[in-house]
Amino acid sequence: MKYTYIIFALTLLGIFGFKNHGSIYKSNTGNINFFSHTAVEDISADNHKVKTAFDANSGKIQFSALIKDFQFKKALMQEHFNENYMESTKFPKSTFSGTIVNIDAFNIEKNGTYTSPVSGKLTIKDVTKTVEALGTFIVKDGVINAKASFNVNPEDYNISIPKMVSEKISRDLKISVDVDYSHQH
Amino acid sequence: MKKPIVLFALLVVLGVAFYAYKTYNKEHTNVAKTEAEVKLTASDLFNAFDNDETSAMTKYADKVIQVSGYIYSKDLGNELEPQLVLEGNGDNGFIRCGFKPTELEKLAILSDSLSVNIKGECKGLNAADELDLLADKDVVLSNCIIIE
Repeated sequence: MKYTYIIFALTLLGIFGFKNHGSIYKSNTGNINFFSHTAVEDISADNHKVKTAFDANSGKIQFSALIKDFQFKKALMQEHFNENYMESTKFPKSTFSGTIVNIDAFNIEKNGTYTSPVSGKLTIKDVTKTVEALGTFIVKDGVINAKASFNVNPEDYNISIPKMVSEKISRDLKISVDVDYSHQH
Repeated sequence: MKKPIVLFALLVVLGVAFYAYKTYNKEHTNVAKTEAEVKLTASDLFNAFDNDETSAMTKYADKVIQVSGYIYSKDLGNELEPQLVLEGNGDNGFIRCGFKPTELEKLAILSDSLSVNIKGECKGLNAADELDLLADKDVVLSNCIIIE
């Protein structure tokens, strides 16, 4: 009888211990693009080294991206972005911490496509605001591709745009996220 | 008498236009052709950022630097920017080096734990202590090349 309890306890420990440990999916090579469209000019920049992870049990999801690592086509634009708008030496990174709201409806072990709102706090230049986006998660052979996009107004994050270039920079920047997550062992 | 003045004015205008054009179309740093401002080991670079990020940013960020270290892993999954990870400090401190897609073949043949010299532009420390799922810390280099 005693042994039955011990085996039962060990089994429980095994299940929950394993599940907790094995529920983290990670990537250090996530993509974030930001895109500004105006009648005068389109501006686009990419970061391919975004650090991100989510917990398939709790739905917690986090991102950290270096501002200086956004690559622009034009070197001058990259310089202005870092020095004038983002002050990237003083504010080197941007983070997001939030939740995949409908994570309980996902079956991450099986191939399939799931959608869920992702909601949380975005920090840029030490200013934190709540943002929400609809995320699409495609599970394929253990890799989970996640895509989402949302819009931000640079002025909400203390990014002031001088009058001279005001026409060239959108107040409705589109941020697109595209990440292949794999299971952390 | 007026001709030389007009000619001079024209030259000035052309000069200004040329300068504006050159500035607007300024090229990105060519890492291969730029001499490294600093040469150091992967662990020295990592520790500099880990100990004092602000002073390390002033010292290394936006500069072309050369780092020597051992390959911890290859992260070639993102074809837009294949990456090499060098050992920095223990299990959670690394140097993450991003390469142009054209370098993929060169990276694919490198074996793990090989000692390499890498030149690239330093972008800072990607670490977020306040985010519990992101425990690893990476000093990030971009537009890297392998020095033979």
